[in-house]
Amino acid sequence: MSSTLEVSGFTQASFDAFIESRNEPGWLIDLRRQAWKSFLEKDLPARTEEEWMRTDIRLFKLDRFGIPTASDQAECSRPLLLEGVEVAGSNKSANGVSVDTSFADSVASQGVLFGDLSQLANQHEALIQKHLFTRAVNPHFDKFSALHAACWTTGTLLYVPDGVTVELPFHSLASLSGGTDLSHLLVIMGENSEATFLNETGSLHENDGGLHCGASEIFVGKGARLRFVTLQDWGRDVWHFAHQRAIVDRDASLQWTVGALGSRLSKANQEVELVGPGAECQVNGVMFTEGKQHLSYHTQQHHAAPHCRSDFLYKAALQDKSRTVWRGIIKVDPGAQKTDGYQRNDNLLLSGNARADAIPGLAIEADDVRCTHGSTTARVDDELVFYAQTRGLTKREAVRIAVTGFFSKCWTALPLTVSEKHLVKPSVAGFANVNNSHLVEFAMDTGCFSLRKETIRE
Amino acid sequence: MSDFIRIASISDLPDPGKQLLEVDDRLVVLFHVQGQFYCIEDLCTHDGGTLADGDLDGTAIACPRHGAKFDIRNGKVISMPATEDTIYHQVKVEGNDVFVRLSDE
Repeated sequence: MSSTLEVSGFTQASFDAFIESRNEPGWLIDLRRQAWKSFLEKDLPARTEEEWMRTDIRLFKLDRFGIPTASDQAECSRPLLLEGVEVAGSNKSANGVSVDTSFADSVASQGVLFGDLSQLANQHEALIQKHLFTRAVNPHFDKFSALHAACWTTGTLLYVPDGVTVELPFHSLASLSGGTDLSHLLVIMGENSEATFLNETGSLHENDGGLHCGASEIFVGKGARLRFVTLQDWGRDVWHFAHQRAIVDRDASLQWTVGALGSRLSKANQEVELVGPGAECQVNGVMFTEGKQHLSYHTQQHHAAPHCRSDFLYKAALQDKSRTVWRGIIKVDPGAQKTDGYQRNDNLLLSGNARADAIPGLAIEADDVRCTHGSTTARVDDELVFYAQTRGLTKREAVRIAVTGFFSKCWTALPLTVSEKHLVKPSVAGFANVNNSHLVEFAMDTGCFSLRKETIRE
Repeated sequence: MSDFIRIASISDLPDPGKQLLEVDDRLVVLFHVQGQFYCIEDLCTHDGGTLADGDLDGTAIACPRHGAKFDIRNGKVISMPATEDTIYHQVKVEGNDVFVRLSDE
């Protein structure tokens, strides 16, 4: 077994060698070259920029990483979201190199495309050229987006044709153990289609390092429905930089559930743009940090059309000296009347040294809208703990219950209610030690519940 | 607490002067004032900002973002909006070399 080979640093020579090694259409090579030019021209973000003011990356050394070039027998981390779940397809990569793809013939026969993006880019040029780095993620947004667009090596494509419903979920896993992951996710939902996608990232060992510089582009066509679950559980020394953007068309809906647990430092830009009347999205995010982890999420719910609804809820529990930053914007264009937008961020500090920054914001250019936001940050209520102790619980058990209750509010906000069975299970299994590994179980359960038909619409 | 680590030469830093240094995956600020060397964590306890870019006034460093001040000799907070001390690191000079012993975080 040989280890992953990487060219040291993102140099012109390594980029030229990378381009030479790719058997890709001309338009894609051109796109890469333009992005590379942008990467060279841009500096790493400075702390004077509003987005980076609270996220310190001075200890991040880009030249310690390079473009993944080859991998034999790279071992993947354990796919948590797959446990007990039957899937329509699964695509895995390790250290930026595609490892394994499975795809049910019965689903493929309906015209669905699924698999490694780099392979499918050659076979379905027109489809991918229309969507890759066009309307969703801007490759020239910053140095990280440019690096990703120039050097992405692998990724996952899901295309569901018009009118097709896929009952079983799709799954992708990007694994990282000391290397570089530049994977790209592209989901294209045709009109009136329906599907579920489980997207997870992880590392072989809890303290593994590495660099993830990725992007997700999601297109939800008219009347389509997509349930999208993201679980980020990188090793505790991984640098994570991500751009995630979804475009939701007329009468379509996107339900996006995020679990952010891992990494040393995460900086994610998550944006949903509602471009057709009647479009709606719901984003529920859970962050759980410990040690010196730093997770920074910047969300934007962009209402570009009238009569759309967006609902973002992020909850974070922080231990030790960890830190979270959540900065959310509801942006409403001048013509987007009758907008209904809501955003909320709740933080539970489990230690006196943890820190949570919450910065909600509104940018409204229409005059007939309802946009509200809120944020709370607090310690576990001492009176609640005392009361629980008078009923025979230890302090630790009391805190565990408080944390479980804190997160359960996130799920009760969902339009899809959860059966009692699935609410109870995480509260019993989760937070036995109030640590991340147990939150993974929690996220697993909550991530999976929306897939199951035991859920009912309110 | 770690062992002493050589981080600079005396001649690296004018007096008065300050320098941002990376030591054992941590960022610290080394000061040279009135012939003495001091070292504190590059951390304003008010909002996590950097102190290295702040103005040095005698033995006080001001956070460039909101003006909180810290005593470089011991990390003690001097003025609001910070209310907690920042981390101070022990410094010793041997010959032309400056050593620092990192305090626990």
